[in-house]
Amino acid sequence: MAANIIETSGLTRSYGDICALKPLDLRVAEGEWLSVMGHSGSGKSTLLNIMGGLDRPSGGSLRVGEEDLLALTEDGLARFRRDYVGIIFQQHHLVPYLSAVENVMLAQYFHSVPDEAEARSALERVGLGHRLKNRPGELSGGEQQRVCIARAIINSPKLLLGDEPTGNLDHKSTLMIMELLRELRAEERFTVIMVTHNQEVATWGDRTIYLDDGVLVREERNEQGES
Amino acid sequence: MALAYKLIPLFLAWAGAVMVLGRGFPGRRPMVAVAGSAGYAGGLAATFLLVRFLPGDLPFGIIKDAVGAGIILMWGVSVAAVYRSTGRDVPLPWGERFAHTRLGAGICALATGILVGAICACRFTGADASVPVFLLLVLAAVVLACAVLAAERFFFSSLTMYPSGMTVALVAFLLLSSSSILRLDLFSPLTMKVMKFAHDFVHQFFESMLIPDHFFFNSFTWDFIGFFFGKQVGFWGALIIWFVPVLLVALAVNLVRLPAVAHIRQGAQRRKMLAAAIRERRSRLVVPALAAVIFAAAVYQSRFPSVEYWDPKPVSVTASPSGEIFIPKKGEIDLEDEKLHKYLFKQGGREARFFVLMAPSGQWTVDLDACAICKPDGYGQAEGAVLCYYCRTLIPLDTVGKPGGCNPVPVPFTAKDDGIHIDGLTLINRWGETVQATTRIKETGK
Ligand SMILES: Nc1ncnc2c1ncn2[C@@H]1O[C@H](COP(=O)(O)OP(=O)(O)O)[C@@H](O)[C@H]1O
Ligand SMILES: [Mg+2]
Repeated sequence: MAANIIETSGLTRSYGDICALKPLDLRVAEGEWLSVMGHSGSGKSTLLNIMGGLDRPSGGSLRVGEEDLLALTEDGLARFRRDYVGIIFQQHHLVPYLSAVENVMLAQYFHSVPDEAEARSALERVGLGHRLKNRPGELSGGEQQRVCIARAIINSPKLLLGDEPTGNLDHKSTLMIMELLRELRAEERFTVIMVTHNQEVATWGDRTIYLDDGVLVREERNEQGES
Repeated sequence: MALAYKLIPLFLAWAGAVMVLGRGFPGRRPMVAVAGSAGYAGGLAATFLLVRFLPGDLPFGIIKDAVGAGIILMWGVSVAAVYRSTGRDVPLPWGERFAHTRLGAGICALATGILVGAICACRFTGADASVPVFLLLVLAAVVLACAVLAAERFFFSSLTMYPSGMTVALVAFLLLSSSSILRLDLFSPLTMKVMKFAHDFVHQFFESMLIPDHFFFNSFTWDFIGFFFGKQVGFWGALIIWFVPVLLVALAVNLVRLPAVAHIRQGAQRRKMLAAAIRERRSRLVVPALAAVIFAAAVYQSRFPSVEYWDPKPVSVTASPSGEIFIPKKGEIDLEDEKLHKYLFKQGGREARFFVLMAPSGQWTVDLDACAICKPDGYGQAEGAVLCYYCRTLIPLDTVGKPGGCNPVPVPFTAKDDGIHIDGLTLINRWGETVQATTRIKETGK
């Protein structure tokens, strides 16, 4: 059993009166692919954002890798996100007036310095070698999401977070994206945490947890994912 | 009060120098504090004593030379920095090792302290240079140094210090303090030297081939050569000499090659190393940039000194029937106040401007308000010297009355108990021979 990359205990998050996350104990092993399911408003995004350092918990403890996220300053948190985390959202959040390769280079720029050759080869890896110079508006939904994947992995994160990345895609594109993520994980050995509504998508993971109203209600291992 | 105001640039420079030293020897702050303060006290005391027991301008000359040596050192260091950054790393093992010892830090701090203290002492003259003043100044300097060293740790965390940058910054602070004192100013003399050099060079180089209708040196060309005789060339030349080392240090920082990262396989890590190196380089540019600002401040102080010149209006005088001008020692004007007093004498459509001065030594002198070289803009007086308004050369009071150079042209006179007696005709003729002659040459010369 590999070491845990994430350990939480009593982790909570509340927005005023609303308790989006009730005290949660969770461990994620290094290299694991964890699927997170639940109804709308059950706290999935809240949990994901907290683990990615985009949001701060209200209480409890949270360790990711070597870092105690509750103890980090704003600068420390920014550095943590830069060095540790890649995120893919349902909405692609690409800069509309930059080309695919420039969008990837932007992520390099915020991390360190841009390197066009490296950005190109990342896009080639996600099968977009022929659409380097196209802007997001000229790409299909599946292609846009692949640009997002290239952007998310360009800085070699240890943790890849997805918040319903296939939510807007048809079945075929969804399968292509999941296949691609599986390939990349095999090469790069990052840990995946994937929020989804879709039972079929969830089975691509090693394990699925179910949230309901901010509480972890169920957890199951997936046969298919453990291949 | 006025004195406290004048001490501002001096203490600013001291604080700056201590800050630079603290940054340059981060592990040696106590050493920097002790050696720097000791140097300051020593430099201050030595200069007080020198000024008291050595005649005339000699002590000031010594300090000026020391600061000048600093400029030369800065040139050497900056040229070496460029050389090292382009070629393969020239190993300077003893230098590097020395810079990291306590002794190295101590010597740098001591030398800086001595110079800053000595410069500071020049602000005080005669009776001002007393033991209480000395103690007060040393106390202020020590407190300031400790405060700066304590605070420096928490501020400007991005300011990276390195040997060549440190040298330039220290010299910049020395010049900032020395340029606030008229007699230690190095920029104006440098301007004069450059002007004279350009002048001599043009003379010797071009005059040796001066053939009336030479192919190149026709009158059209001469119009341009006239540029070399202007005051501007001195100013710009001096400016170049001051600022080039700063530019060289900045250039050296930019020339240093970024680390080889091609062997790092993971892109993110490779880019991170590159970014760190670029950030480091950028932070190294802060020091020369700050030094340039300080140099500019020093030049500004030198060009527009915050010194009030004693600049009396000429008083009209007339000669007695026998042709003698008489100026009483006691009268409306107290001649014995050690200040120059200007007079205007007119006779038969000709005129002469002159001044009478009793030096602190008690020596009397009467001189034209003009020298044999410059346009007759006249002289002002400040801080133990008279100053030629045209070329801004300082002439120490003890040497006023001696002929030559930019000194005011002496006039024969007799000092009696009641006052000064001058022959009017001699005066008028002396003005005509020297001053008008120069002006006429200036008018006709190309
Ligand atoms: N910024 C916010 N301010 C107030 N309430 C919020 C905020 N973000 C989320 N919530 C609430 O927290 C709960 C969990 O939201 P979320 O994590 O986005 O759910 P999910 O992603 O599972 O649909 C919801 O009730 C939601 O209304
Ligand atoms: Mg959500």
